[in-house]
Amino acid sequence: MAKSGTINAPALQLGATKAVRAGEKSVPTLLLAPTMIIMTIVGLYPLLHSLYISLTNYNPTFGTSYSFIGFANYARAFGDGQFWYSVGLTLAFTAISVALSLTLAVLLALLFNQYRFGFVVLRTFLLIPMLITPIAVGITWRTMMMPDLGVLNYLLSLIGVSHLSWASSPSSALASVILVDVWQWTPFMFIIIFAGLRSLPKSPFEAAAIDGAGHLATFMNVTLPMLKPVIVIATLLRVVDAFRTYDTVYIITRGGPDFATDLLSVYLQRVNFRIFDLGYGSALSWIALVIVLVVVLVFVNLTGFLKLVADKENR
Amino acid sequence: MSNSRILKSGAGALAAYGLAIAAALFFAFPIFWMVTSSFKSEVDISAYPPVWSFSPTLANYAQLFTELNAWQALLNSALIVGLATCIAMAAGTMAAYALARFDVKGKEFLAFEILSIRMLPPIVSVIPMFIIARQLGIFDTPWLLIAAYALSGLPFVVWVMRVFIQDIPQSIEEAAMIDGCSRFETFWRVTLPLLLPGLAATMVIVFMFAWNEFLLASMLTSQEAKTLPVIAANAIKPKAIAWGLASAAGVMMSLPVVVLVLLMQRYLVRGLTLGAVKG
Repeated sequence: MAKSGTINAPALQLGATKAVRAGEKSVPTLLLAPTMIIMTIVGLYPLLHSLYISLTNYNPTFGTSYSFIGFANYARAFGDGQFWYSVGLTLAFTAISVALSLTLAVLLALLFNQYRFGFVVLRTFLLIPMLITPIAVGITWRTMMMPDLGVLNYLLSLIGVSHLSWASSPSSALASVILVDVWQWTPFMFIIIFAGLRSLPKSPFEAAAIDGAGHLATFMNVTLPMLKPVIVIATLLRVVDAFRTYDTVYIITRGGPDFATDLLSVYLQRVNFRIFDLGYGSALSWIALVIVLVVVLVFVNLTGFLKLVADKENR
Repeated sequence: MSNSRILKSGAGALAAYGLAIAAALFFAFPIFWMVTSSFKSEVDISAYPPVWSFSPTLANYAQLFTELNAWQALLNSALIVGLATCIAMAAGTMAAYALARFDVKGKEFLAFEILSIRMLPPIVSVIPMFIIARQLGIFDTPWLLIAAYALSGLPFVVWVMRVFIQDIPQSIEEAAMIDGCSRFETFWRVTLPLLLPGLAATMVIVFMFAWNEFLLASMLTSQEAKTLPVIAANAIKPKAIAWGLASAAGVMMSLPVVVLVLLMQRYLVRGLTLGAVKG
């Protein structure tokens, strides 16, 4: 046990942020070790293994022997129309769903930012969808969207809207699963943006009011710029998660009808665990991983996400 | 003049309430539908037009335990998610402390690397995990999922706890150390008690994501280690879908998360944004 006499003098100076004491040199390494070990064994190693498998024709249904085939899987992937169709569909799904959620979340945050009686209770309802297990969300929406027996078509018939086919027709299936995604994840963006809105300083709004700015002008010139960091974080996290959407689509459509909702994760699952073409599936996974990284890096660079987090640190 | 202003603000309030109630209905209705469906009998659930008042039955919940083997899935879920959460919390908090309080070489890179795990789509790691698990003979055992969930929880814990630790003034720790506490004693007696709310909030989020996870759970288990989302998905068969049963499974698995998160609501935003936005 180190006594006070052994404290390094500089560490006691005002403003010294890191107090390193004698005999503590190895402490950070020891503290970081468990995380590094888990990340290496459970995270990095399987990834590298997957890279290796992607260079083989491994398929457990054909026995345990397999051979090294170089980049053949990757070459095959570039000619795989179904794969690129899924990539495009996933990007469209992600873009539409996140854009809708973001718009709705900002509007709801503005609405609930008023101090009115009962709004706290109503707000709680807006939180719950993101907590529901996605499988349960899928089950519930699939029940509600049944064309003949579902409650949604019943409710719509009351206001004179005729029979919609929801997820059972190729033309409306994608819109239906986007609706479910928006329903489930708008709450996620809402609570983040709402928290951001609540923590904004008052004075810029007062200044805008004195200058006689209208609601829209205040929103565009005052609220939105100040809210940008929060919106960026919420959007980045949402984009990453929307891109990997699987559970609800698996339950509601399994990629159908007629591949209308065949998102990347659903397509990959089929290649891997229906036909067990694991070598090829690994190559596709790696291409998907690179796409995610590109999307994230472009986004991070466009919005300065890391700088934002670093600023937070240095404050 | 003043009359019209009152009228205008009255109309504004009415519009605000109208919109707020409409939004609450949109987000709450499917949950209401799931909960009521879980208490409906087979006849009531397939009735059209849908029935709004019915005599509730617990048959679906009973069936969960008799037919879908929900006890085992519940135990599996609790064991797997509980252990994985504890491992992620312990390892992640240690790392977070190191990043927050020491000068570590390549700290930013390390933090970014940990964050990139958050970006990794699980569909990428599922094949190698499947292959490795078969070779090691741990396919369909809890250990595989425990490892996978501990990994996916880690970035949350490291990033969020790092911010929570930074929120605690270093001077408090220094004072304790000057009084003769060792680094560990200082952490245990001074820092940890102050960290408890943050720890609890982070834990709830890690728990939530692992508890709700389906993709890895469905592909890395077959019989023994099935979790709740997997058996719930099993209630959906191509031909005969047991809607009441599936709804009951949905309610049962969603309930713990809803209760836990609503208890920790105050810290939720901080946790979900990896510490970047203060709730």
